[in-house]
Amino acid sequence: MDYVAPTTLEEAYRALEAEDARCLAGGQSLVAMMNLGLASPARLVGLRRIEPLRGVARRPDGGLRIGAMTTHAELAALEAGAAGPALLAQAARVVAYPAVRAWGTIGGSIAHADPAADYPVALLAAGASIEIGSARGVRQLAARDFFRGFFETALAPGEIVTAVHVPPGPAGARAAYEKLSLVAGDFAIVSVAAIAGPAAQVAVGGCGPTPILSALADLGDDALLEAGRSIAAASDPPSDHRASAAYRRRVLPELLRRAVRGAHPRP
Amino acid sequence: MNPKLHSVLTINGERRDVLAPASATLLDALRSVLGLTGTKRGCNHGVCGACTVLLDGKLARACLTLAADVGERAVVTIEGIGGNGGLSPVQRALVEHGAIQCGFCTPGVVIALSELFARDPRPDRGAIRGALSGNLCRCSGYAKIVEAAERLAGEAR
Repeated sequence: MDYVAPTTLEEAYRALEAEDARCLAGGQSLVAMMNLGLASPARLVGLRRIEPLRGVARRPDGGLRIGAMTTHAELAALEAGAAGPALLAQAARVVAYPAVRAWGTIGGSIAHADPAADYPVALLAAGASIEIGSARGVRQLAARDFFRGFFETALAPGEIVTAVHVPPGPAGARAAYEKLSLVAGDFAIVSVAAIAGPAAQVAVGGCGPTPILSALADLGDDALLEAGRSIAAASDPPSDHRASAAYRRRVLPELLRRAVRGAHPRP
Repeated sequence: MNPKLHSVLTINGERRDVLAPASATLLDALRSVLGLTGTKRGCNHGVCGACTVLLDGKLARACLTLAADVGERAVVTIEGIGGNGGLSPVQRALVEHGAIQCGFCTPGVVIALSELFARDPRPDRGAIRGALSGNLCRCSGYAKIVEAAERLAGEAR
């Protein structure tokens, strides 16, 4: 394996043309996979020195453009603002542990696309889009079209996640992220992200290869539990060392209710 | 076969040459190339916290950091925490409070608490528990570790 550390995106795109080349962002997932023998790229393209991939910019509408190399700790420290950015900050605060949050990046996390990860859930609920660059130019894709399956995204060879665009969310809406895990910092058993005003947009993670997105109009407790039960019935959760599929279906409705209540206390 | 890369790392204030394959982690470089074995290899995939070091003053998993990607960032390991061969206040608090059982997690715990006390000399119990949330102690000696940190925070009050 070789390692290169370009300082511009153009150099990075060229470096990615090599056979079996992978981007190295914060390394908090990829290096773990390499240590476990689950990934063995022929070349790593380190993105740490590429300045345009850094930084969070506030958009005039209250949304954010988050550079792909922004760390979880940087997102967690964002001042609360509109619902969309607030949801991302809440999710970032419960990603793994302090040491991982200090170096792990949003771009690296979403390119890895772990089905139990926190960002995909938050990004779908927030209606975010993913900015993708390559030698051919830049394209933008809705988060719901970016996550394609179990550790699978819409990224084509030679493409790099360059930024994440998070809209503010409806006026007056608020956000909440509910995560059930065995211990603090572990991956979610089930998680639910919600943006709620008069109506709600929710995404459920941990219950299938990609998050499940739903729009809800009735935000009463009973209606939320009922909506959670139908999402659970239609979902295909895994059974693994954290929990059985039946357990995930069982806890989903209450987590969904808590997420929406957390964002919107009164129906 | 696997060609080796040359990196110059700044470790505990000293410039050190490392010749290692590109896939070598900072943990491999510390333990196997430089003989700095205070940093422990536990799970080797980022969960246990035994290999925690400081990278530019922030907590980092040495097992999830590639040696070749460290670059200009300054590394501090457990060997660099005390200074002049003495114990740091965090180390002294752990010793005095009996917060060490088998000791395998202790280097990572010392680093995590050192980072916490550097930013907040008087952390409360919640902050202490949060700072230690990425460090597993399989002796399950958490109560003594948290109490030692609370005592050190109390001394600063």
